[in-house]
Amino acid sequence: MRIFVTGIGIISAIGNNATETTQSFIRAKSGICPIRYLSTSHKNLLVGEVKQTNEEMKRFLGISQSTPSIRTALMGMIAVEEAIRSAMLDKKTMSDSMSVLINGTTVGGMDKVEDFYTDFIENDTKNEYIHMQHCGTCSEMIADYHRCFKKVNTISTACSSAANAILSGAEMLRQAEADIVVAGGSECITRFHLNGFNSLMIIDESPCRPFDAMRQGLNLGEGAAFVILETEEHFNKRAVQSKPLAEFKGGANVCEAYHQTASSPNGNGAFKAMKVALKNANLQPSDIDYINAHGTGTQNNDLSEGIAIQRLWGNEIPYVSSTKSFTGHTTSAAGGVEAVISILALQNSIVPQNINFENPMPELNFLPVVEKTQNVKLTNVISNSFGFGGNDTSLIFSKV
Amino acid sequence: MKANIYINAIKQISAQNALCEEWFEKPIYYSENFVKSLDEDYRQYFSPNEVRRLGKMLKRALLTARKALESNENKSLDAIITGTGLGCLENTELFLDRMVRQGEQMLNPTQFMNSTHNTISSLIAIDTGCKGYNSTHTHNGVSFEHALFDAVMLLNKDNNTTAMVCGHDEMTPTYFNFLQKAGYLGQQGETFASETAVAMLLSRQQTDYSFCKIEAIDILYGQPSDIVNIYQPPTEIDAIMTGINGFDKNDNIYTDVCGKLFADTPILQYKNIFGENYTASALGIYVAAECIKLGVVPLHLLYNKKRPKSIRKILSYNHFGGKNHAFVLLSK
Repeated sequence: MRIFVTGIGIISAIGNNATETTQSFIRAKSGICPIRYLSTSHKNLLVGEVKQTNEEMKRFLGISQSTPSIRTALMGMIAVEEAIRSAMLDKKTMSDSMSVLINGTTVGGMDKVEDFYTDFIENDTKNEYIHMQHCGTCSEMIADYHRCFKKVNTISTACSSAANAILSGAEMLRQAEADIVVAGGSECITRFHLNGFNSLMIIDESPCRPFDAMRQGLNLGEGAAFVILETEEHFNKRAVQSKPLAEFKGGANVCEAYHQTASSPNGNGAFKAMKVALKNANLQPSDIDYINAHGTGTQNNDLSEGIAIQRLWGNEIPYVSSTKSFTGHTTSAAGGVEAVISILALQNSIVPQNINFENPMPELNFLPVVEKTQNVKLTNVISNSFGFGGNDTSLIFSKV
Repeated sequence: MKANIYINAIKQISAQNALCEEWFEKPIYYSENFVKSLDEDYRQYFSPNEVRRLGKMLKRALLTARKALESNENKSLDAIITGTGLGCLENTELFLDRMVRQGEQMLNPTQFMNSTHNTISSLIAIDTGCKGYNSTHTHNGVSFEHALFDAVMLLNKDNNTTAMVCGHDEMTPTYFNFLQKAGYLGQQGETFASETAVAMLLSRQQTDYSFCKIEAIDILYGQPSDIVNIYQPPTEIDAIMTGINGFDKNDNIYTDVCGKLFADTPILQYKNIFGENYTASALGIYVAAECIKLGVVPLHLLYNKKRPKSIRKILSYNHFGGKNHAFVLLSK
């Protein structure tokens, strides 16, 4: 059974939709800037923020300013809206079908909880935000805005959440538990996890440098991205005048079971995720043209992932780049953001550059893509998402 | 979704005595509105370092997982899937509270590390050495069923898989207070707020210790009136295990949906003795599984005084907020 990606929607630091995102790659324009929207004492840190206030997003969505909301849900609503439109679906068709929303998130509505925590304790004027902290409520807010979903689920495996949402959605299609799947993730930057990553001392105060020998850590990002998945049969039955955007060939979810936050130095988890994904997609390593790496810019991840790539591809390494130097690390949304970026790469025959790279890592035999790479023939792309706790997931998308 | 899967082991730590089925004969009743789980003496099971480093919920998660594996004939494990409504709440609160009160400096990275929802599944993976499928579902009050659904999809695909499905939630006084204000816990007439720690082992192979079979699982999103139309109810069920908790707004949905779908079927409850929390339904499914295994329903689980004639098939029906509806069909 073939699973097609028939729609995509994305909002991140490098654009409010897919077109703007592609333009940013073509112009090699990063979205990482000094903090502008988040209220924090760490004003020195660089982040990849979505360039809109909550008020602007509400206006775009037609939600009244007085309606309580959370940033993660607003971004999610925008990306889902774009995905539905790009699949040439309408709410009526979706309501009449078994339409499923699977959202990957971890911070949920923490942005409002950290603002109103004292109020919850002392004043009782912001209590409507209490239940919005929960990840599930965030997904329900996205679903309720669109009013066309009969099944809604939330997956939280840290930085691989959205990738696992896509994997789970594809499996629901294979087992005939869904007609139309909208899967991906959404996550805004909060003080909570900015400080969390900062306390772990894995934030680079300069623009992040994935796969650079001098890398000092990550820059946090935020965003939301979703794909529409349908079976070939369902898509054909809809008789849409265009081709599907890509095929979802397969993926794998494994656990490294090595350490609570760190990856093993020999990249066992990353190696296994990619290897099993290839097997599930029925592809050989040599079939892969581009690896959209997890590439956070931390010492630990890039070494571990780089070694894994080297082990699997030997001396025949395809294009590799991390797009986190454009978007920042969008944490739970990253699997969705980078799935959409991988599909945009396939569609536009471009390989996003690994910007900010200067110094090769002595441990690795390959360099990431450092120059503008357009008009390349891409057939199969693998996208990696590795989370805390060794929750490693790889997804493979292919040209149709 | 149809299934043909056996629950071969279940271990729990809850408001009832831990790691046993004493609640069946001698349940503990509570009059408080918030009850912490009856913990084991974890020094028996963990190193002093682990006892210190791991929060209560993580110790419960590791212990229930270990005990479930010990009690199973098959010691191998291929997948770990957890459902948790709030994740690692205590560590989240500790980190948040300190950040809000003392500002954004000198924060504790261990609390942050242990605050993410997936800490539970990943720690169980490290503890058991299980490097296979590992996931965490956090969809409010139907998180556990989503984890179970995920496991069923996995087992439907692969005949030889053993999957561990867990349900974990903890509660703190501060969050009890918050959730009471939000209209979820501690409402008029509602049973006590509690905590859940459940680990189950699932496989397509029946063993001498199997509790019951999972025949179907369906999780739907919508208003009760939509659910009554979309859901195709099974026939010939002996009882419905519901999340009735004494709060009218919650209970009316159960009686309404059950009345429309299963007019004369006896209704059972478990929250009167296990309390309410986001993954309480993991305990509901455990209770139903134990009743099927023993072929009896104790009197304290009867809700509408109707006693089931036989007890071969129980449908677990759990709703959350009247919007999420989960149905799990269990049979002998």
